[in-house]
Amino acid sequence: MSLIRWNPTRELTGWTNDLFNMQREINRVFDNFFRGGVQADESFGLSYWTPAVDIAELENEYVVKVELPGVSKDDVKITLESNVLTIRGEKKQEKEAKDGNYHRVERSYGSFQRSFTLPTTVKNDKIDAVYKDGILTITLPKAEEAKPKQIEVKVK
Amino acid sequence: MGNNNAALTRSGSRALMRQPEVHEIVVTPVADVYETSDAFIAKLDMPGVDRDQISVSVEPGRLLVKGVMAVMHQVPANIIFCEIGTRSYVREINLGDGIRYDQIQAVFEDGVLTITLPKTDEVKARHIPIK
Repeated sequence: MSLIRWNPTRELTGWTNDLFNMQREINRVFDNFFRGGVQADESFGLSYWTPAVDIAELENEYVVKVELPGVSKDDVKITLESNVLTIRGEKKQEKEAKDGNYHRVERSYGSFQRSFTLPTTVKNDKIDAVYKDGILTITLPKAEEAKPKQIEVKVK
Repeated sequence: MGNNNAALTRSGSRALMRQPEVHEIVVTPVADVYETSDAFIAKLDMPGVDRDQISVSVEPGRLLVKGVMAVMHQVPANIIFCEIGTRSYVREINLGDGIRYDQIQAVFEDGVLTITLPKTDEVKARHIPIK
């Protein structure tokens, strides 16, 4: 069991729930705005969005996770050019959905792209990508010289 | 997580919303809701969730979706960039009349939960012949 910090407001009932809902909604609007989730240039038939990304450094590799729900695996392109890793693609709207009568549209559609400069210590030829449950996981193994090493110092 | 599938009363669903049991970060998944001639369809983005960590509960007038994300990063890891994190999803959608509650279906694919709520015959568009 994990330790969860005690939050006194969680104990409250009744009207406070509505307050939590409101807070969540506000957070969502801000998240979308800062992540560029707002559709741009719709009038020109162009729309783009920016998927959220996590990057973690492990002992032997870097792991990049990209949030791409509803994107087909075949619509994602990963390229590596002079140490810049680029993830780009397109999220298409289902045909059936296009014909439907909409009540709410909150999800983003259109092209997306994100680029990252990799440290030179990544083994470029060993990069691996897996797509599962809407998350693209790219594993970038570190070159030998970048791994943490223990050097024994002899004290005389 | 034992009470996930418990029958939801109005107060029960509220209790669920207040208690993220695994992750403290709870987000509202974005959703598209549209209507075809036969059904209402809701699509919710819930990336990173395992299929069996999703619960969908329905009661008249209300649909409650809850999902717990698998842990995103191995430990120990040095997180360089964090826009996703590990979190839970909770969303409640109000439903109108004319839904066949016994025929609701949910499918989870590529991080998207698609819930199909078939319409009753009364609310379907009908063609009226002219005599």
